[in-house]
Amino acid sequence: MPSFLNSLRRILSLTPPHPVLLKNKEQFLDFQQGAPLNDYTFVVCDTELTGLNKRKDEIISIGAVRIVNLQIDCNQTFHRYIRPTNIHPNQATLIHRITPEELKKADRAEQVLPEFITFCDNSLLVGHFVGLDMYFLNKTCRQILGGSLSNPGIDTMRLAQRYKDSGHQDHYGHHDHAASYTLDNLTKEFGLPVFKPHDALEDALQTAYLFLYLLKKFKTGGIHSLKDLYRAGRIRG
Amino acid sequence: MTADGPPDVVVDFFANIMPFTELDHATLHRMARHVKVDFFPKGTRLFHAGKTKISHLLFIQQGGVKSFIVDDEGEVTLKDYRGEGDYIGALGIIRGTKASLDVETVEDTFCFLLPQAVFLDLINTQPGFSQYYLKSFSEKFVGTAYAELRRHKMTRRGDENLYLFSIQVGDIVKKTLRKTSAESTIQQAAQEMAQHRVGSLLIHRPDLPDEIIGIITDRDLSTKVLAPGLDYNEPVRHIMSSPVATVLSQSTCFDVLLKMMSSSIHHLAVERRGKIIGVITSHDITLIQGISPYSLFKEIGKQQKISGLYPLSQKIPAMIRNLIKEGAKPGNISRMISILNDHILEHLLTLLEEEMGPPPVPYCWLLMGSEGRREQTFKTDQDNAILYADPKNEQQGKDAQEYFACFARQAIDHLVQCGYPLCPGEIMAVNPKWCQPLSVWKGYFARWVGTPDPQEILHATIFFDFRAGFGKSVLADQLRQHLSKLTERQELYLLHLANQCLAGRAPLSFFKNFIVEKNGEHKNKLDIKHQGITPFVNFARILALKNNVRETNTLARLHVLSRENILDETLWAKAVNAYEMQMQLRIIHQLHQIEAGQQPDNHITPDELSELDKRMLRNAFEVIDRLHGVLKTMFPTP
Repeated sequence: MPSFLNSLRRILSLTPPHPVLLKNKEQFLDFQQGAPLNDYTFVVCDTELTGLNKRKDEIISIGAVRIVNLQIDCNQTFHRYIRPTNIHPNQATLIHRITPEELKKADRAEQVLPEFITFCDNSLLVGHFVGLDMYFLNKTCRQILGGSLSNPGIDTMRLAQRYKDSGHQDHYGHHDHAASYTLDNLTKEFGLPVFKPHDALEDALQTAYLFLYLLKKFKTGGIHSLKDLYRAGRIRG
Repeated sequence: MTADGPPDVVVDFFANIMPFTELDHATLHRMARHVKVDFFPKGTRLFHAGKTKISHLLFIQQGGVKSFIVDDEGEVTLKDYRGEGDYIGALGIIRGTKASLDVETVEDTFCFLLPQAVFLDLINTQPGFSQYYLKSFSEKFVGTAYAELRRHKMTRRGDENLYLFSIQVGDIVKKTLRKTSAESTIQQAAQEMAQHRVGSLLIHRPDLPDEIIGIITDRDLSTKVLAPGLDYNEPVRHIMSSPVATVLSQSTCFDVLLKMMSSSIHHLAVERRGKIIGVITSHDITLIQGISPYSLFKEIGKQQKISGLYPLSQKIPAMIRNLIKEGAKPGNISRMISILNDHILEHLLTLLEEEMGPPPVPYCWLLMGSEGRREQTFKTDQDNAILYADPKNEQQGKDAQEYFACFARQAIDHLVQCGYPLCPGEIMAVNPKWCQPLSVWKGYFARWVGTPDPQEILHATIFFDFRAGFGKSVLADQLRQHLSKLTERQELYLLHLANQCLAGRAPLSFFKNFIVEKNGEHKNKLDIKHQGITPFVNFARILALKNNVRETNTLARLHVLSRENILDETLWAKAVNAYEMQMQLRIIHQLHQIEAGQQPDNHITPDELSELDKRMLRNAFEVIDRLHGVLKTMFPTP
């Protein structure tokens, strides 16, 4: 099976990474962290998965929006379903309201991922608990494209924790309660507009609203450059 | 760049606000692609008056802003509050000027930003757009224009409906052109203006009377002559504006108004075939806008017989529909309905008096409830009463009783014929209890205030909103003064009113399970009047009575209360928004019913509402809770 051999070759680094990854890597060779936040662009993304098993489960949709000049750009959105290797009507697809039929019609990761990487361009990746999204993105990238993404990540959950710890808020909440850091709860707690949950694009948008909220609230608290922000919410890419 | 289309939330937002509702799906999508989303924490200054160049039109998705002016001494004057669904910056973009007001967020605010170029493109390509935005700018003119028309009883030729968007400016420009030579002295020019009662004068070349080279206005006289102390004998050319800004006589009034707004020049010379034929002012044009309601107004005044008035009130809905289409605010609409109803009443009673002969004593026809508050919509039950001067002797008393009983009976019949239904509670002048001399009325109020019985006061609330509808308004004033004095001494009845108000809970769970009627004809419907609007009316009434505010209109009461710092400024703004939003829903609901041939009511089905309406309604209900909080602090339960 040639495709299986290809995958094997890539895993063993016998074939060079896909050109789109090479370009992606190049874009971050001399990445600077000292510039003001306005100078960076961000891609806020959310992935929907078949489940949370790191070994078995797969990405079935990606939603993303770009933030330019610290504003969400409605003309730069990304929303795709991905046909998983194994289609079975499991729990996650029900939650995400994606039917198995829709998944059968969707493109494969081989098609979608390079498009997504091109969309990401030289932006920073932002997500809520972004480590999970990046784990599955990179896992798939390595399998089919022979490498991983070079875009640095920013976790809005960590930012939110940091924001609440730093006492920006003017009321007393249960700061250490784990449940209060879910996207839903933070959205409620900060009183942000609410979008449909469990749709990758809407979730990405919801996260983007949270990110904008935190960024601008932080700005009044003295965070101006990316470096400042990193101290608050960086994750290992 | 990959673009998978604008997010649904952006498209939905615009699809639900005027005038974007008019756009077709493809245009809406194309437009939404250009939108950016931004967040401004509470206290962010968005515009600096005179400094900020406006690059985007801002639409508030969530949150709120205030606009204000800071004068040279640092004095701050609040102009307006804007909330969800409102826009900021349109005037500046259309005029191409910098921000004219300071704007600051009063809450954490998310905005949709529409780039200037995209907005201007819509203005130029979508006919409904320019009308909508122009209308909202000129709204405050419109309100005052009607009042002026009414006061001056101006006459105008022809009865035809003229419209701002179809009349050419050449048709309304004044026929005589006033001009003077550039060598005339300032004093001569001023005398000329005074003599002909004009606000401007064209200036021609001394040797060529047909060549217009400039213009002077009232304003030039004050700013260029009086203020700097210029010699009145200077030639007028020293102060004229030159060359004259002109418009072509075939331009529509709409275009002309737009030009005036964009150039901030309010006197334009009208040119026909290369020749100046006159001057048009913004005032001339705002009068045109009033023509359609005005023609109805005039038609009412023209009737020689009472029966001629019967069909006229039926014409009000059609006229209101136009106003709504053009974007008039509900406050203006109900004021307009009140003006027209008042006019019908005034004319009807005048004709009736002519029929019956003069009354034995002076009287005042009182309006109560929503009529008293000038808050009528289409469905207006009669709530009225007669208050007459105390008779001097027994005979006069008997005459008065007889006369007014007969007068009231006929008036009420005629009003029914005009389409105003009888009051089910019989609060009408035809009820002998409510047709009484001043001393008796004073006694009524003394009892309600002095020894309040909770049940009785509940029925009496609408009397506290009385105003003079026709006749000697001084009688109504005397009664109002009497009530103020009573209230100063005795506030207990206000506690009863407050308790009554607090007993009704805000229908907040409307959106989860919907507090709606469980049984009967109006099952699963929200009574927007009693559940939504009445709490605001009650709140304003109690605070107005307590603080001796003489206004009866709810918005006017709230405004005074906020100005006097009795009501918190932010809460005031929220209350006004919430109240107007509900009035709007109610008016549109009733208009639909009338047009479908049904009797208008106040029962709204949740399914009729858009998502945006629901969200705004929910916010409106939340305000009720806050108003109740104010009442609780003011009238603590022991």
